[in-house]
Amino acid sequence: MTTKTIRRELKFTQPPAVVWRALATSEALADWMYPNDFEPRVGHRFTFRVPPDPRARFDGLIVHCEVLRCMPPSELEFTWVVGDGWLDTRVSYRLEADGEGTRVLFEHSGFKEDQAFHGAAYGWQMMHGKLAKTFSLSDNPASKA
Amino acid sequence: MMNTEPGVFGAISHPARRRMLDLLVDGDRPVNAIAENFEMSRPAVSQHLRVLLDAGLVTEQRHGRERRYRLVPERLEPVRDWIAHYERFWDDNFARLRRHLEKGDEQQ
Repeated sequence: MTTKTIRRELKFTQPPAVVWRALATSEALADWMYPNDFEPRVGHRFTFRVPPDPRARFDGLIVHCEVLRCMPPSELEFTWVVGDGWLDTRVSYRLEADGEGTRVLFEHSGFKEDQAFHGAAYGWQMMHGKLAKTFSLSDNPASKA
Repeated sequence: MMNTEPGVFGAISHPARRRMLDLLVDGDRPVNAIAENFEMSRPAVSQHLRVLLDAGLVTEQRHGRERRYRLVPERLEPVRDWIAHYERFWDDNFARLRRHLEKGDEQQ
């Protein structure tokens, strides 16, 4: 089955050990992602709690995750599941030393068209609209600067 | 616009219909040239084309006895937007990660 993958290459001036702490500690993830109960060990199940946003009429959302790989400071992979399977995907980071800094290869994979686009199109479409609004409202660079 | 979107997503939910769209990317095709790529019966092919027509993803022209199909790529826009939301989600969060790391630098 064809799946879609989001890929990004990120470069940081900080060394892998520092970048790893930002990617693989609960406190740091809460800062740049969402509140969570992440722990850096394989098999740990955790959630990201996307908070409600009344302005976007968004009720909040829970992303269910399980750590699949955890090899500090170079590899982290976890599942990323939303709803009853309408989004069943995986997120992975690979860190490589890059001079004094770090190159991070990021992948979010497993967007199955058949699954994501299946029958109850209307329901998730509404949810998705809410989600999109929340994403755009919850990350306003001006308010963080 | 909102009402048309479920039709588009439903239309591309079947692999045969996605394959039909792929075939039409290169240009218009008569129904025979589409059907010969599939093992299914002609009525089944027609039924899938009907779903694509209803979703507005293809148009049908009649030339005498021949029916030709043409892709309407702009109708896929809601699908592209849907994927783009996820890409933007990560772009936005990585921007936050970057600021988080820079802030960490200052504290050291």
